[in-house]
Amino acid sequence: MHWEYVFAGYGIVFASLVVYVVSVLYRGRELSRQVPDDRRRFLD
Amino acid sequence: MNQTTGSRATRILGVGALVALAVMLVFGLVFSPPEVDQRDAVRLMYIHLPSVAVAYTGFAITLVASVIHLRKGSVFWDLVAGAAAEIAVLFTGFVLISGALWGKPTWGVYWQWDPRLTSTTVMFIMYLGYLALRRLDLPPEVRSRRAAILGIISFINVIIVHYSVQWWRGLHQGQTLGVDTKLDGMMLFTLFLSVVAFMTVGAWLLIHRFRVAWLEYQIGLLGFEHALAERRAENETSGLYGSGA
Amino acid sequence: MTELDLTPQQPAAPRSRPWRNWLIMGGLALVAGVVLYQALTSARVFFLNVDEAVEQRATLGDDTFRMQGTVISEPETAADGALLFTVSFGGADAEIRHVGDEPSNLFKLGEQVVAEGHWEGRVFESSQILVKHSEEYVEDNPDRVDYELDETVPEAG
Repeated sequence: MHWEYVFAGYGIVFASLVVYVVSVLYRGRELSRQVPDDRRRFLD
Repeated sequence: MNQTTGSRATRILGVGALVALAVMLVFGLVFSPPEVDQRDAVRLMYIHLPSVAVAYTGFAITLVASVIHLRKGSVFWDLVAGAAAEIAVLFTGFVLISGALWGKPTWGVYWQWDPRLTSTTVMFIMYLGYLALRRLDLPPEVRSRRAAILGIISFINVIIVHYSVQWWRGLHQGQTLGVDTKLDGMMLFTLFLSVVAFMTVGAWLLIHRFRVAWLEYQIGLLGFEHALAERRAENETSGLYGSGA
Repeated sequence: MTELDLTPQQPAAPRSRPWRNWLIMGGLALVAGVVLYQALTSARVFFLNVDEAVEQRATLGDDTFRMQGTVISEPETAADGALLFTVSFGGADAEIRHVGDEPSNLFKLGEQVVAEGHWEGRVFESSQILVKHSEEYVEDNPDRVDYELDETVPEAG
């Protein structure tokens, strides 16, 4: 019983998490290209 | 050359987070039993509480990092504070959404102006304000200083949210892991598992989000240096500050 | 002189317009104000316990407020569809007559509820019933049967 609330909750949370993760990784990839190696402290 | 914000450490952490999430989902949705009164709605606890854990931890990191930034003025800690706050705000959003969806089948309503719910909303908005402040067009040192001060002040919200169920009467139940708690074995284990899974995700996200902020900062510096170099080149050709008599 | 990197770099991330950010800040402050107002007027005293509500019956008049207590009678449905039951707290009882949305599935004898409504004589006219769940979580599985049997033992013996 109440599965509709459970699925809605898990669905919204995990979908939002995936969107956020993808956006962070994508931005990281884009920005990485613009920064030379010697400026990449804290990145490895 | 590595063209991402990933590293050996984040890859190991990332795989760990994925495995933990998968195990958590199986336990949360399949293995753990329904509750006597709440039935399957109790499963929302396994995303609601871990989200609280990540949010609290994130805001605590923002607090500590802000204090260090104010004392040392280091860019590193300023960026850590911002990254942690952003993740904590996201998970506070999860807390509010999962809470509303849990409230409907148990209390009978999605929302009430209960002290816990109200204080959580105030906390959410205040940290949104913190994130907005970090994007204001101000000189970087001024902005990071103000952000640090707000990052410290805003932590009062976390304390208010946490104790709201003890200080005021409300609809929200008391602390789940408090003295009066009674949580059957399998539910407790699933809850523990879900907290571990979410915290691992949070840690992984924090590293990546910090690195994105660090890259942005470096690009800003490069732009500044580039402009400076252009200015110098101009000055040299025009001979304004040329040989210097 | 230090060597400068003169290869074309991407300019710093374009800044969004300052007025827009201030507008966002202003909007957030406004929302925070509304939430705080709600908190101060509505959540200050979220509910009165039954004993307090009974004690203050005269001063409350027909004001709308929330009353909290434990359901001590098996809820009945009246001919007109109203839900009738008694709540108790702090040694005082009150009869509730509820007309409105059906409470959640958790609503039953022995459960703590918060009812929103007003006094009409000695009866509390409710328009909303909220079920206040405790922080007790009990697994529902077949092994539980013996627990239920245990509970019936005192009555049987």
